[in-house]
Amino acid sequence: MRNFLTFLFISLSFFCLAQDGSLKIVVEPVFDQAPLQLENKAYVDAHGDSLYIDEFKFYLSKLRFHNHEMIWGEQQSYHLVDAGDKSTQTFVIKNIPAGAYYNFTLLIGVDSMANVSGANGGDLDPVKGMYWAWNTGYIMTKLQGRSKVCKTLHHAFEFHIGGYLPPNNAARAVELYTPGLKIEAGKESVLHLKANAAEWFKNPETVDLAKMNEVNMPCKDAMRVADNYADMLSVY
Amino acid sequence: MRWVVYFFLFVLGGMMLAASFGFCPDPDEDIHFVVPPGWPQPHYDFSKNQVTKAGFNLGKRLFFDPVLSRDSSTSCASCHTQFSGFTHVDHSLSHGINGLKGTRNSLTLFNLAWGSSFMWDGGVNNLEVQPLNPITNPVEMDNKLENIVTKLNRSALYRPLFYSAFGDSLVTGQRVLKALAQFMVMLESYNSKYDKYMRHEPGGEMSEAELKGLKLFRQHCSSCHAEPLFTNGSFENNGLTVDTELNDYGRMKISRDPADSLKFKVPSLRNIVNSYPYMHDGRFGTLKQVLEHYTNGIVNSPTLARQLKKRMKLSEEDKNNIIAFLQTLSDKDFLFDGRYRNFGY
Repeated sequence: MRNFLTFLFISLSFFCLAQDGSLKIVVEPVFDQAPLQLENKAYVDAHGDSLYIDEFKFYLSKLRFHNHEMIWGEQQSYHLVDAGDKSTQTFVIKNIPAGAYYNFTLLIGVDSMANVSGANGGDLDPVKGMYWAWNTGYIMTKLQGRSKVCKTLHHAFEFHIGGYLPPNNAARAVELYTPGLKIEAGKESVLHLKANAAEWFKNPETVDLAKMNEVNMPCKDAMRVADNYADMLSVY
Repeated sequence: MRWVVYFFLFVLGGMMLAASFGFCPDPDEDIHFVVPPGWPQPHYDFSKNQVTKAGFNLGKRLFFDPVLSRDSSTSCASCHTQFSGFTHVDHSLSHGINGLKGTRNSLTLFNLAWGSSFMWDGGVNNLEVQPLNPITNPVEMDNKLENIVTKLNRSALYRPLFYSAFGDSLVTGQRVLKALAQFMVMLESYNSKYDKYMRHEPGGEMSEAELKGLKLFRQHCSSCHAEPLFTNGSFENNGLTVDTELNDYGRMKISRDPADSLKFKVPSLRNIVNSYPYMHDGRFGTLKQVLEHYTNGIVNSPTLARQLKKRMKLSEEDKNNIIAFLQTLSDKDFLFDGRYRNFGY
């Protein structure tokens, strides 16, 4: 009994001494204001076309938290979020030094390192289907669906965006202000993000699905779409 | 009388047993990557995928296993056979699942650790992810890595093999690819007659014709087919006419740069007499035809290799000597190396 109490005391004091906390990030896929519903709900894009979304996936990587003293970055920081799989929409980042962080930066997509380092594991495993075989590289983001205006088989549109070599590097750096974000020692904080699929179709360029409905390799069009969705993430 | 029969049965049985051992893989076979003396350092990053015997054996098993294809009909070895330098000998275009034909001649597989890009167009930047191409190509294996991982995870045979290779019986896409890479980097060819000649070893005695051929080779061919790998790893347009049915413009498909039009990877010439037919579409069946192309068949175009702009002049004797030299690049130790042989099926 005494041994047990000593053990408890030591472990508790260790726990209190720990200066690290963790952060749960919850990413909610939306279309404008409403939660995104795949396959059977019609949405209207910025061009005014009605559309259905069947697949919406994207990588978030290089997660970094900033405050006035320091920048803390997650190691091996690659997270694949799939609108069709709830379990991918929440992930926990551990061992963040306690403190207030006013700024959160990340990439939508994956860095060039991941693109040249062969067979990777975890969320980067090519088994996830976010990978081009014939022209090596990650599909950084995917948005697929249907719209009557597309003169394609089954009226399908397909945006598979990727490419790591300049001038067609599709990774987009994102900076989000997180004024209330506090990491406390030994506790788990929560950060809610929204990923707005509607942003793929507007700002800076309004996408006319009748004209652009298939992008599936690194190219100029991929860069245009990536520029559009660069602002799809927001904190709420 | 009876004991004579028993005696012969005993001897015969013993001989059969001994013979069967001869066909089994040697348990003490050496699985170590070698950088031959005088060769550059390999490009492949071994620190992220250390070759082990268990990993090599798993990779070998996967290489020979048709389970990788959608209908379990086609394995890597279907189009990459050892005795031909791991290519599809006598097939200009290889055929995969359901006998469907591809658009290019399958490449040889050896000395891959020195490669910095793969495929005829260099679209693949790392050896580990190369197998995704034949696996997913609809005319090769027409499968998905997801399906393979699911299938192997259900296999009582494979899970222990993954355990011994990776310390964990869970099959992942990464582990399948890493194991295949371990087998592929071990396909090393550096013991041809030419190599022995260069190392002044017994068996490296070259004939007069072979030596003349080597000299001509260094004069006319080696700027692209550079020793010791017999490729410089670059992409060149070697003046072939465009096949109007295949319309294959090579490297340009990857780089989207018109300056790369009609350029293809310079292939290694090691084991060249064993790996016919030649060129990216396998249009030439013999080395004679290849040399005829380089002397009389070059088609000029804006992207033609600089070295081929001036006409190559070779006499019949020169050509014979070059072919005699090219024969010295065959590496029997490699082509018949028991470590690469498949005993599992």
